[in-house]
Amino acid sequence: MDYLWFVILSGYALCVAESIFSLTSKQPAPRRWMIFPLALAFAAHTAWLVDRGISLDRCPIAGTEEMFAFLSWALVVAYLVAWKWSHVLALKAFIFPIVLVIATIAAVAPQSDATPAIKGPLQSFLFPIHAGLILIAYSAFFIAFGAGLMYLIQERELRLKRFGTFFYRLPSLDTCDSISFKSMAVGFIMLTLGIAAGMGWQRIRDGHYWHGDPMEIFSAITWLIYLALIQSRRSSGWAGRTAALASIVGFMIVIFSLVGVRFLGTLHPFS
Amino acid sequence: MNILLVGLSHKTAPVEMRERLAFADSSLTDALEKLVDHDTLDEGLIVSTCNRIEMVASSPADPEKGIDRLTRFLCDFHDLQPTVIDNHIYRHTGLDAIRHIFRVASSLDSMVVGESQILGQVKDAYRHAVEAGTVGRTLSQLMDRTLSVAKRVRSETEISHRPVSVSSVAVELALKVFDSLAEKNILLVGAGEMSELAARNLVEGGASKIIVTNRTPERAEAVARSFNGSTIAFESFHEAFSSVDIVICSTGAPASVINAEETKRALRSRRKGPVLFIDISVPRNIDPKVAQLENSFLFDIDDLESVVRANIHEREAEAHKAEVIIDAEAHHFAKHIRAMDIGPSVLEVKEILAQLAISEFQRNRKRMGDLSQEQEAAIRDVLIPSLVNKLSHPIIVHLRTAARNGDRSQVVEELRKMIRID
Repeated sequence: MDYLWFVILSGYALCVAESIFSLTSKQPAPRRWMIFPLALAFAAHTAWLVDRGISLDRCPIAGTEEMFAFLSWALVVAYLVAWKWSHVLALKAFIFPIVLVIATIAAVAPQSDATPAIKGPLQSFLFPIHAGLILIAYSAFFIAFGAGLMYLIQERELRLKRFGTFFYRLPSLDTCDSISFKSMAVGFIMLTLGIAAGMGWQRIRDGHYWHGDPMEIFSAITWLIYLALIQSRRSSGWAGRTAALASIVGFMIVIFSLVGVRFLGTLHPFS
Repeated sequence: MNILLVGLSHKTAPVEMRERLAFADSSLTDALEKLVDHDTLDEGLIVSTCNRIEMVASSPADPEKGIDRLTRFLCDFHDLQPTVIDNHIYRHTGLDAIRHIFRVASSLDSMVVGESQILGQVKDAYRHAVEAGTVGRTLSQLMDRTLSVAKRVRSETEISHRPVSVSSVAVELALKVFDSLAEKNILLVGAGEMSELAARNLVEGGASKIIVTNRTPERAEAVARSFNGSTIAFESFHEAFSSVDIVICSTGAPASVINAEETKRALRSRRKGPVLFIDISVPRNIDPKVAQLENSFLFDIDDLESVVRANIHEREAEAHKAEVIIDAEAHHFAKHIRAMDIGPSVLEVKEILAQLAISEFQRNRKRMGDLSQEQEAAIRDVLIPSLVNKLSHPIIVHLRTAARNGDRSQVVEELRKMIRID
């Protein structure tokens, strides 16, 4: 494992510790604590990606190691965007554990070079666009998941009329809901574009848009589910608890697409 | 400079006594001018609210005399016998006085810890005294410090964070469900005093669209007008459920006015987010089963009051933290005041010079020949003191300037060295 991963993972681990602590403890923790480890980890993380990209002369987005490295990086960026837009600090307690897990997978993944599968006569700019957009879409869905969790916890506090530390640290239901919706919408757009790019790339590789591959089927399912979610929210105001639960279901499907699908056997080039 | 404080509060005196001893705004200036006689007390400040009276003063000399004067003044101004108030007032000097005023301004001595009114009241009292000309260096330093300690306590502890009244808890709950109250529709079922108060709190929290319904339409209209809102018929208010966001129920009815079945039906056509039902009537007017409906929240008066109790408990826990801050600040300030106090230094300078003069006189006594009793007395009691005053004057002026500039000058030490006395 790269020594750089060590820096990245410890930085994120500190962020996780700080976020959980500030969410659950009674002390008003000084805000500045997390900025240093986060900045350090993120800088190292970016450096890793850039270095890898330069040394392989392509976008570092193929193979388990690179995919998960890119995904965790995109998730940090997604969190920062969500924070900038909503000023909700509590979100970090839900997002950074996911970042840490994904980054750890990247760190311990077996070194392998997926270059042969992507380069060569079938090389196309569409591949990094496809993979990049999908992974960005996934990080947006993770944000929606985090917001959905916050919604459910906050709702439970309200229903049980038990106002613990969570109640005060988490934002209002409305805010959780709107973060969730906005991220889902962004994710859906990215997912649509990503799938389109993927289909385009497959066409170039072997002339078919669709293979009936498990990965493709799951992507389609994911796409349809998020489409249904967004549509029903807009039309029948299907907001609140149901939407929060749905964002969690969506997250499960995404995780499965990332991890479980391989076990179903797929032709989709991962590594 | 001794800092003195004499006062009474809701903790030591009943309301009748507090009323009797209160200072009306209009008589404050007069009272302050009478209080500060520039002899026993050279600075003074009075805080007079419905819950307390605090008289803070600075005395150049004996603190006991100062306390006496404060107590006597309180009695004389209000035409009361000292024995009547004796058991109800507290007297503090020095560190205790400083700590007390810090605690009072930080709301730790208030009926509800963490209340925000007292700081404004202390500020007003300070301003009054400044205008009356009874605030000098000592009290202005003390009051500036008091205000900043109060601010510190507010920002470094959570004593004022949680709401402690039923209506403000309701607003806080509403803000945890809805992002903001602007553009939210609020339905008042029952136009009594309690609903009006709750609605008023919500309006202060940002709400603007109030709909009122009441069994007697005239009353509903009257209340609606005061909020620039609208009314709907009492028989059909359920229909509004699909579009309102907050329902406050407080009729005098002995049973449910809002029941679960009708509410469920009305909510079905709802396209927006959750509805918040707040039932502040006793007995309850909203069927408790409403709480179990999808996307609706119900809080009754018991729930709100238990939140208030929990919040008061929180505040009291935070009060411990505040006491620690205040204690440290009080010690710090007392030290600062002592260092600023040049009284002892002035005395020392005069002592040193007087001793010098007397010892010289005695050494040279023989050369003066025979002196009558009168002449000796004149030298000892008139010449020497007046010489000492004249000689020490420039030194004392220097001391005062140094103290004013915050310079803890070693004037006395230097003087000793210069005159070679150890």
